[in-house]
Amino acid sequence: MKNKLASLTMFVSKIDRQHVQLVIALAALAMLVLGVGAPSNGGSAGPH
Amino acid sequence: MILLSALVIGLAVGLGWSRWRDQPYQAPALKFIWLVLVAFLPQLIVAYLPVSHTLLPDWLAAISISLSLIVFLLFVLLNRKLPGMPILIIGLVLNLIVILANQGWMPISPQTASHLVGGSNIQSYSIGRRFGEKDILLNPQDIHFEILSDRFLLPDWFSYKVAFSLGDILIALGVFWLLVKPANQTEGQRS
Repeated sequence: MKNKLASLTMFVSKIDRQHVQLVIALAALAMLVLGVGAPSNGGSAGPH
Repeated sequence: MILLSALVIGLAVGLGWSRWRDQPYQAPALKFIWLVLVAFLPQLIVAYLPVSHTLLPDWLAAISISLSLIVFLLFVLLNRKLPGMPILIIGLVLNLIVILANQGWMPISPQTASHLVGGSNIQSYSIGRRFGEKDILLNPQDIHFEILSDRFLLPDWFSYKVAFSLGDILIALGVFWLLVKPANQTEGQRS
């Protein structure tokens, strides 16, 4: 248990602040392009 | 999906470019990211989540999409100085114009839609009703700003069928450039 905790702490300490910023920026950009773009593949809405 | 491809390709080119120059890749310095969450939430509910896709009446969903786009516009204007953003802003504005002019939905003609769902299947869709996530099926003569509608298709040899607008193309170019450019910014900061 102690070893697992130590390895988890080491893993977390290896995560660079810049990597976190990149992940946040990519998530924001993904939401941005999905939100502002409006391509259609005809999915989701069935015939009315 | 097609727009997310631009994001992935832009990231790959940006990472490759910075590695080739032996410089660290920097994430775009986006400000006011919380606005993206605020703007995307209504669209997640009315357009993307299958469970809630049909919960709201179409008129309320259309208003939600328009309001969401306006909040997105505020976000990109606040970040307008980032590389690629001016192109993305033009794309957003073009999509916003055509959506606001067509009852809050992106118009698509039956002819274009038939390429997506099949020529015979399109008969079962009603004109003037919702089509896909954010589109409305309208005859070309009833579409305002038809040139800005979902009228472009991928070549036939693509197995993935999708219709997209001029605004979508600019949005894809903008996000691609935004993710490629940060590597060059580093060079500017060092010199």
